[in-house]
Amino acid sequence: MDTSIKDFEAAIGELESIVKKLEEGDLPLEQSLALYERGVQLSRFCHARLEEAERRIEILNERGELKRAPASLVDESDRA
Amino acid sequence: MSDLFDLPFEEEEDEDVVDSPQLTVDTPRSTVDGQSTVDSGPSRRRILSVTELTIQLRDLLETQFFEVWVEGELSNCRVWNTGHLYFTLKDQSSQLRGLMFRSALRYLKFKPTDGTRVVARGKISVYEPKGEYQLVCEHLEPQGLGALQLAFDQLKKRLQAEGLFDTARKRPLPALPRKIGIVTSLEGAAIRDMIKVLRRRYANAHLVICPARVQGAEAAPDIARALRQIGRVSGVDVVIVGRGGGSIEDLWAFNEEMVARAISRVPVPVISAVGHETDVTIADFAADVRAPTPSAAAEIVVAAKNEFCNRIDRLHGRLHAAARGRVQSLSRRAHAVSGRPAFAGFPGRLAMRGRHTAELTHALARVVRATFAGRARRLQQLERHLATFDAGRRLESIRTRLVSSDGRLGSAVRRAHYRAEAQLGNIAGRLDTLSPLAVLGRGYSVAWNADKTRVLRDASGVSVGDTVRVTLSRGELGCEVTGRTLAENTKDTKGAEGADDTE
Repeated sequence: MDTSIKDFEAAIGELESIVKKLEEGDLPLEQSLALYERGVQLSRFCHARLEEAERRIEILNERGELKRAPASLVDESDRA
Repeated sequence: MSDLFDLPFEEEEDEDVVDSPQLTVDTPRSTVDGQSTVDSGPSRRRILSVTELTIQLRDLLETQFFEVWVEGELSNCRVWNTGHLYFTLKDQSSQLRGLMFRSALRYLKFKPTDGTRVVARGKISVYEPKGEYQLVCEHLEPQGLGALQLAFDQLKKRLQAEGLFDTARKRPLPALPRKIGIVTSLEGAAIRDMIKVLRRRYANAHLVICPARVQGAEAAPDIARALRQIGRVSGVDVVIVGRGGGSIEDLWAFNEEMVARAISRVPVPVISAVGHETDVTIADFAADVRAPTPSAAAEIVVAAKNEFCNRIDRLHGRLHAAARGRVQSLSRRAHAVSGRPAFAGFPGRLAMRGRHTAELTHALARVVRATFAGRARRLQQLERHLATFDAGRRLESIRTRLVSSDGRLGSAVRRAHYRAEAQLGNIAGRLDTLSPLAVLGRGYSVAWNADKTRVLRDASGVSVGDTVRVTLSRGELGCEVTGRTLAENTKDTKGAEGADDTE
């Protein structure tokens, strides 16, 4: 379903316009439903992206390889 | 050092004669050493080749002036295609030729230009082919402004003119920075500060750190290399480059042209974070955003993320409020409606994993129900409206109209009735006048043949002795014809009537 959502900016922009429409418009039931569905979809897309980012710290070495950061680098600042 | 060179210099000083060195050499010898010296002259005389003398001079000068500091103004600065710098150092009355090899020139932070007052450090050497002595410069330091400051100003001016710092070039930070690239040293507090801030305030931040030396001669190329590398990591949408505080020399790599250019070539927005708040570097000008410190750079990323979350939350809230605003009650209607296939499909289509997912599904169901409820409520309102206003009013109006119609119908019927009565009277009157009986009433009578099948109009139609019947206005007579008078025109009805009249 997210294929129709380009990126955050696009998602937010569309969500904004949907909310506006719903707030001001007295739309037919079917259309309202479709807009709600789309709105929740967009909102979910954004939240999903927020959660998608992984709590991770990696080190990129000179050969371009990604490795986990040594614990010494994060332990003292890691609150979890 | 040879004795030969020592001698004349010492003698010269002793004699305190400057103007004619030739004489001073000769005279003291004869005085001090006596005739014997002069006599043995040819045997002791050593003739040097130019080269020999030059080499000896060179050795002397290079040893004597192994390291000198000399102040003067640069002129005739020129870098040859060999990469070495040639210049002349001068003051009001003297000049000194100078040379700086490419290897030393490389480490110069500023570009030597004519007119700059400098302190040069180096040794005196002799250029044998030309018999010239010159300063082989190892380091140049501008007077007045510090060398670094001058270098800073020069580079800043140049890159600015080139447009590298133009506001139009500045890219906005991503709406939601997800994968954050960091170029800095793994040593020191800067990286730990940034990690601390990001971990605390951006729980699931994904950091990609590309370590680089941030101090010393190798720092600038290393930072540039790290920036190139991190720009190639897929998904990195913002890069922080920087280091903690230090002296201007410590921070110098961030004032190097190659770092500025590497920053400008990173495909995603770059936040510079060098030293403390008061430290401003060329990197800061080249970056898209300048953070006063590494921690502040992390805060900027966090702020961008928070702003994104707030926007989403606000919109989410408004989305729901838009639904709730229409909803107060009528959930049973909503539930009734929720049995529809269109609604039943939602949870399935939006089936999601995790707690958040479930919440959202629930929220959607609520929204959908709310929508239905809203619609249903509106429908009921409409019905009520219809019942209380429209229908009632319409009925009344219909009743009124009916009553008035009733009256109008009555009067119409009555009018029709009257009209019919009048017509009837009229017709009756006319019928009256047309009735044969009325004629009879006026004294006329009708004569028939005997069996009353034919009205008699002509006397020739009967014979004397025939019986005729006569209808009077009242009653009827049976009569016997005793005579008859024939009319001249037998077919004339008038004649017949006339005949009748005579009877």
